[in-house]
Amino acid sequence: MRGPNTKAFQQGFLKNMILSLQACSEFCISSSASGGAAMMSLQQRKYAIKSSADIAMATARGRGARWPQAVLASSSSPSRRLSKPSSSPGKKKNTRVCKKIVRRCLHTWRRSRGGTGGASSLARTRTAMICSREIARRLVRKRTKVLRKMIPGGELLDEISLLHEAVDYVAHLHAQVDVLRRISNAVQRG
Amino acid sequence: MSSGRRGRISDDEINELISKLQALLPESSRRRNASRSSASKLLKETCAYIKSLHQEVDDLSERLSGLMSTMDNDSPQAEIIRSLLR
Repeated sequence: MRGPNTKAFQQGFLKNMILSLQACSEFCISSSASGGAAMMSLQQRKYAIKSSADIAMATARGRGARWPQAVLASSSSPSRRLSKPSSSPGKKKNTRVCKKIVRRCLHTWRRSRGGTGGASSLARTRTAMICSREIARRLVRKRTKVLRKMIPGGELLDEISLLHEAVDYVAHLHAQVDVLRRISNAVQRG
Repeated sequence: MSSGRRGRISDDEINELISKLQALLPESSRRRNASRSSASKLLKETCAYIKSLHQEVDDLSERLSGLMSTMDNDSPQAEIIRSLLR
């Protein structure tokens, strides 16, 4: 497996990245020199850089993980967007719902018991525990769904494979950020 | 790597995965998770971290895009390649 810390991956990634950046800048220069099509806008170039970074990363990673194939597959289709899961409004709602559930459970139990007695407090705790376990399960399910959307190709994986992919993908994203930063600094200096 | 994992998965493998993932996440979240690393917290941290990495790639791409507009074809490129492969 070519991990991101191996020289082979880093050099492969770098090479792919530089080649695509060269092609990108040559296109810009040739198109502006010939006076033909207008030069690439900042946003277009940014998108081209981002695409080539993802493709370079996926190509350098090769086989041994699922996400590279998904990245390459999605980059060949025109409408390519890194999906942004709307996790925050969903999660806030979830927390409110969870709190409501716990409160309702405790309230119902208290009402049925007349709300007194030491024996009922143990039962109350047990009810609360069962509720919180169910809440934890629901939270895990919800967050797993979010994670699936963030990892390319994650929708098709089972939970264990998803975790494997997450470990691999995060490590390689690190390397991608690192290379992009180095290239930016080098260009700035040069 | 097989696409579908059915059947028993050992606790050790799960623990190993979880610790690998936690090792990748930023330092601050690791300290908080030290004692009770709940699954949902780990998932939440991972999603947030991937999101921030995507954002960082986006920002760096924008920065590079701006820098490239002022680049000419010959010498900077050779210098870039040389400095990066050092």
